[in-house]
Amino acid sequence: MGRALLFQGLVGITEAMYLWLVAAGLSLIFGVMRVLNFAHGSLYMLGAYLTYAVFRLVGGDFWIALAIGPLLVAAVGWVLEVGFLRRVYRVEEAFQLLLTFAFVLIFDDLVKLVFGPLYQSPPTPKGLSGAVVIAGSIFPAYHLFILGVGAAVGLGLWYFLERTRFGLLIRATAADREMARALGVRASRLFTWVFVLGAWLAGLGGALSIPVRSISPGMGELIIIEAFVVVVLGGLGSLRGAFLGAVVIGLLHAYGLLYLPVFELALAYVGMAVVLIIRPQGLFGVREG
Amino acid sequence: MASQGGTTRRRFLKSGALALAGLGLAGRAHSAPQLKLKKPIKIGCQTILSGPLGGYGEFMRKGALLAQDEINAQGGIGGSPIEMNFRDEELKVDVGVKNARYFVDDWGADFLIGIDSSAVALAVGEIMPTLNRVLIVTHGATEKFNEDLVFKKHIKQCFRISVPVYQDGIASAIVAKDLPVKRWATISPDYEYGHTSWKMFRASLKKLKPDVEFVGESFAKFGTVDFSSHISKVMGSNPEAIFSTEWGGEAVTMVKQAKLFKVFDQTKAFMCAMGAAMDVLQGLGADYPDGAWASGRYYFLYPESADNRRFVDAFRKKWNTFPSYVSETSYAALYAIKKAVEKAGALDTDAVITALEGLEVSRPAGPCVIRKEDHQAVYTVPWGRIRHDPKYPMPILGDLRVTPANDYYRKPPFPPVEA
Repeated sequence: MGRALLFQGLVGITEAMYLWLVAAGLSLIFGVMRVLNFAHGSLYMLGAYLTYAVFRLVGGDFWIALAIGPLLVAAVGWVLEVGFLRRVYRVEEAFQLLLTFAFVLIFDDLVKLVFGPLYQSPPTPKGLSGAVVIAGSIFPAYHLFILGVGAAVGLGLWYFLERTRFGLLIRATAADREMARALGVRASRLFTWVFVLGAWLAGLGGALSIPVRSISPGMGELIIIEAFVVVVLGGLGSLRGAFLGAVVIGLLHAYGLLYLPVFELALAYVGMAVVLIIRPQGLFGVREG
Repeated sequence: MASQGGTTRRRFLKSGALALAGLGLAGRAHSAPQLKLKKPIKIGCQTILSGPLGGYGEFMRKGALLAQDEINAQGGIGGSPIEMNFRDEELKVDVGVKNARYFVDDWGADFLIGIDSSAVALAVGEIMPTLNRVLIVTHGATEKFNEDLVFKKHIKQCFRISVPVYQDGIASAIVAKDLPVKRWATISPDYEYGHTSWKMFRASLKKLKPDVEFVGESFAKFGTVDFSSHISKVMGSNPEAIFSTEWGGEAVTMVKQAKLFKVFDQTKAFMCAMGAAMDVLQGLGADYPDGAWASGRYYFLYPESADNRRFVDAFRKKWNTFPSYVSETSYAALYAIKKAVEKAGALDTDAVITALEGLEVSRPAGPCVIRKEDHQAVYTVPWGRIRHDPKYPMPILGDLRVTPANDYYRKPPFPPVEA
């Protein structure tokens, strides 16, 4: 009984890793740039589509596709920031939201145009279609891989932010933009790199999803809503919050299915509401002001 | 005197020649009776055209368009060409109702066909008396459509040309009773249809094989991309076999993920009620586990008749792919409308309804009759086991189990399903 619970939790945390990758970028971008990137789900979707396209181009090598796909999404992120987002920083937040929402619609139609409206279903990479036994049950090797990547990204981001100079500049700008600028930090270039990093993370999430999930237009919408719940629950701008928030949502879903399947849809929102009532800034959020 | 005779003869020859030419033309181009109906005859079709289940809409469109081309080439319905219009039902009840109203009130549809979602079928069915057009459902399978809406509530405008959930819940049990399996579980979609089909399967199988147990269930909402927690939950109850009514892209994702969890190594059987849909066969391809049981609302290799072969070949020629079952049901719906209108001699809804009741429809899926009592088409579809045949670009069904539809279809007065 305990082992079944443990196993169910493990499955939930694995599902959470995709959410974590999307939420991490979302949180980072908001924390530094104060922009709520509604198009972040579309970047996840592009990660899936572009990685699959590369996969087919290179004759079916998943690892090469995984290396290249997210970089392509990062490039798209670069274009979005330099070409469009940059122009609306000084304007009302409502316009920023409108702009990023416009991208959602544009990307949805673009993938339908280029790849067709039907779903696609890439194969599982040969090396990772096996399974291991954990807690007495069979756990897919690919899921183990996802857990590893999620943890590695978490560690990597922590190291990057806490131990590198660039990370220091990011944290400074997030904490106090005026002061950072006064001290010589070039905000505009920083913003571009932060957005590109966020895009890369979302693209990576999408790329990793392709062997197990299907690809279809509209897959971005599904994950952005969950990602928003995660970052609000975890605290906007906090990476630790995004990770913990994702894990909480994943566990709520996995255990919710066992005990309250009728509320499958509502549980995540109820969880978010409960946290917000107790701690309105989210688990690791910083209270403004 | 002489000029009069000359004119008469010339006129006679001219009119004679014209008459002959007219006869020739009529004989060649018009095999349909000339009913002098409005032109064109408008048929509105709504189906799921986007998202993970969008494959259905594509295949339904292709089947309908093939029928439209063929019928129009033969002169149309009673001499009037068909014009089709397609809209996305998005699996949403409010969108489905809006589409139906748009088709009839704004676009001027004479007939409505289509509908994938059972929930949408029920909602649209309810408003058919106000719209007063014949609706022929080509996919949505809930038994409440024919048993409640038509038989009990007498909504006579509703018809269904595709098999109801009896195929998924009863014909499946007839196969399942012979399998060496006692513990069943399900992963199915979380809406009307997913629950109804599981209930019917449980009720039917328990009657046929009393020592079965139903040990686990998990229902996944539309839009589920990751079935992992559903799979781990269900496998935690140690089932020997899984029954599923997941369909389209979601069936593909679920089977792929179940494979990663080695579900097919740990269980003795897997039954997927709509697993023989063309987009699922193509989507899973080599990943479709051998021996999995699957069915649908039509299977392209059954029956082995000239009519069926002709349909499959025409479809492949036009669309460069094999037909899915919704292609056949929408194709059959158009031909049923043609036959009924030409029999009734009019487009009037009541006249067509009368003509459709008891109508024998000739369709690729084989002999078919539209029951008068509940406007449900009765025809036979097999269950079979997945196998990979190098002759075809996708997996096919072998070991076909054919139970005549009349043997297992529920009949009036439709007692409640006890599960």
